[in-house]
Amino acid sequence: MRFLTRPKVLGVLAGILLLLVIGFIFLRGPIAHIELQAEALTPPLFSLGPLGDFIITNSIVAAWLSILVLLGFSLAATRNMRVVPRGTQNFVEAIVEMFLNLVEGVAGKKNGRRFFPLVATIFLFILTSNWMGLLPGFGTIGLVGEKELAHFQSFSIIGFNLYYIPIGSSEGAVIPFLRSANTDLNTPLAMALMAMVFVEYWGISALGFFNYSSKFFNVRRLLRGDIINGFIDLYIGMVEAITELARIVSFTFRLFGNIFAGEILLAVMSFLIPLVVVVPFFGLELFVGFIQALIFAVLTLVFAVIAVEGHGEEEHVEARTEHVATSAA
Amino acid sequence: MGALGINLPGLIAQIINFTLLLLLLYFVLYKPILRMLDRRSEKIRESMERAEQIKKDAERSEQEIKKRLEVAHQEGQALVTQAAEIGEKLKTEAREEAKKEGEALITKARAEIQRERDEAIEQVRQRFAELAILAAEKVINRSLDKQAHVQLIQEVLEESSKKGKSQES
Repeated sequence: MRFLTRPKVLGVLAGILLLLVIGFIFLRGPIAHIELQAEALTPPLFSLGPLGDFIITNSIVAAWLSILVLLGFSLAATRNMRVVPRGTQNFVEAIVEMFLNLVEGVAGKKNGRRFFPLVATIFLFILTSNWMGLLPGFGTIGLVGEKELAHFQSFSIIGFNLYYIPIGSSEGAVIPFLRSANTDLNTPLAMALMAMVFVEYWGISALGFFNYSSKFFNVRRLLRGDIINGFIDLYIGMVEAITELARIVSFTFRLFGNIFAGEILLAVMSFLIPLVVVVPFFGLELFVGFIQALIFAVLTLVFAVIAVEGHGEEEHVEARTEHVATSAA
Repeated sequence: MGALGINLPGLIAQIINFTLLLLLLYFVLYKPILRMLDRRSEKIRESMERAEQIKKDAERSEQEIKKRLEVAHQEGQALVTQAAEIGEKLKTEAREEAKKEGEALITKARAEIQRERDEAIEQVRQRFAELAILAAEKVINRSLDKQAHVQLIQEVLEESSKKGKSQES
C-alpha cells in the first residue's frame, strides 16, 4: 500500500484515470464498420474475362506496402555487404540466420536450403503485414462513400476538401486506404496455395511423380489381387487427398481468422474505451501477428519435409515381415 | 457486412504479389546473405584450419630442431671422442717411433763402438806385435835364427788372439 502512495505512482495513476475519462467522454467515435471483404479503392481497372474485374483493394495496397518495406530493408542490408557485418546488415543477417538455422534444423542441410526462400518469405511477409496493420493510419484514413457524406464535416486546404468525422459523433465510416493484408481472405489463401504448390512440387521432384502420387492413389495391392487391402489403400489415398486440400483451408482460415479477429478486438476495445485499456491488446496483437507468421511458415516447412520424406514405410515393414515369415517357415 | 468470398482477381493479384516478393527477396536478400554467411563460415573454418596447421607446423619444427640439436650433440660428442682417440694414437705412434729411433741409434752406436773397439784392438795388436818383436830382438838378439823367431811370434800372437777372443765373448 505504501507503494501506491508514492508521489510518482500517484501521478501516473491519476494520469491514466484522466486519459480514461477523457477518452471515454470525448474520443468515442463511431464503431468501425466490420467488412469481411476488402474494400475496393478504384472502379474496375480491367477485365480478366470470366474471372471478373481487377480492382485495387485496400488490402492489396497494404500488401504492396509490406513488400516495399521488406525490399527497403533488404536493399539497405545488402547494398554494401561486409564480411564483418554492421548496422542494418547485422540486424537482417541475424534474422535470416536464425530462420535459416530453424529451417535447416528441421529439414536438414540440403532440403533446408531449398525450402528456405519460400518459408522465410512467408514468415517475413506475414509478420510485416501483421505488424504494419497495427500502425496508426490503417483503417482510419480513407475515402468517404456518397451515403456516408452526411456524417462528415469538411474543411478545405489548398483547394482540396478534406472530410472528417467530428468528435462526439457516433455515425460514419470511411473506406480505408490501408487494411492489414491478412484481414482479406485472399491474401492468406494466395499464400496457402503457393505453399501447397511448392510442397507438392518438392514432393514430386524428390520422389518422382508416380511414387509421390501413389500417396493419393495407390492401386498396387489392388492390382496384385489383394482386394481388401487394396480398397483400404484407395480409401486412405482419398483421405490423404482430402487432408492435403484441407491444409489449404486451415492455412487460410487460421491466419485470416486470427488477424481479422484481432482487428475486430482492437476496434471494439477502442470503441468502448478509446485510451489506455487498448494498449495491452496491441501487445497481444503483436504477439499474435508474430505467432501466426511463425505457424504459417513452420507448417509449410513441416509439410514440405513430410512430402519429400516418402511414405512407403508400411510396405517396407510388410515386406520385411513377409520375409521373416517365409524364412521361419 | 459482405459475404465471405474469394475475389479471384484479387487472389491472383496476391499470388503475383507474393511470387514477386519471393523472387525479389531471393535475389536481394537470401542469395547475398546466404552467400555472405557461407563465405563467413568458410572463412572461419579456413582460419581455424590454418591456425591448426600453424600449430602443427610449429610443433613439428620444434621437434625437428630438437632432433637436430640431438644429432649435432651426438656428432660433437663423436668428434670429441674421435679426436681424443686420434690424439692418443698419435701419441702412441710418436712414442713408438721415438723408441724405435732410439733403439736404432743405440744399435748403430753399439755397432760403431764395436767397430771402433775392433779397430783399436787390431791397432793395439799390431803395435804390440811390433813392440814384442822389437823387444824380443833386443832380448834374444842372436839366440834365435830368423825362422825360429817368426815362429815364436806367431805362436804368441795366436795365443793372445785366442785369449782376446775368449775375453771378448
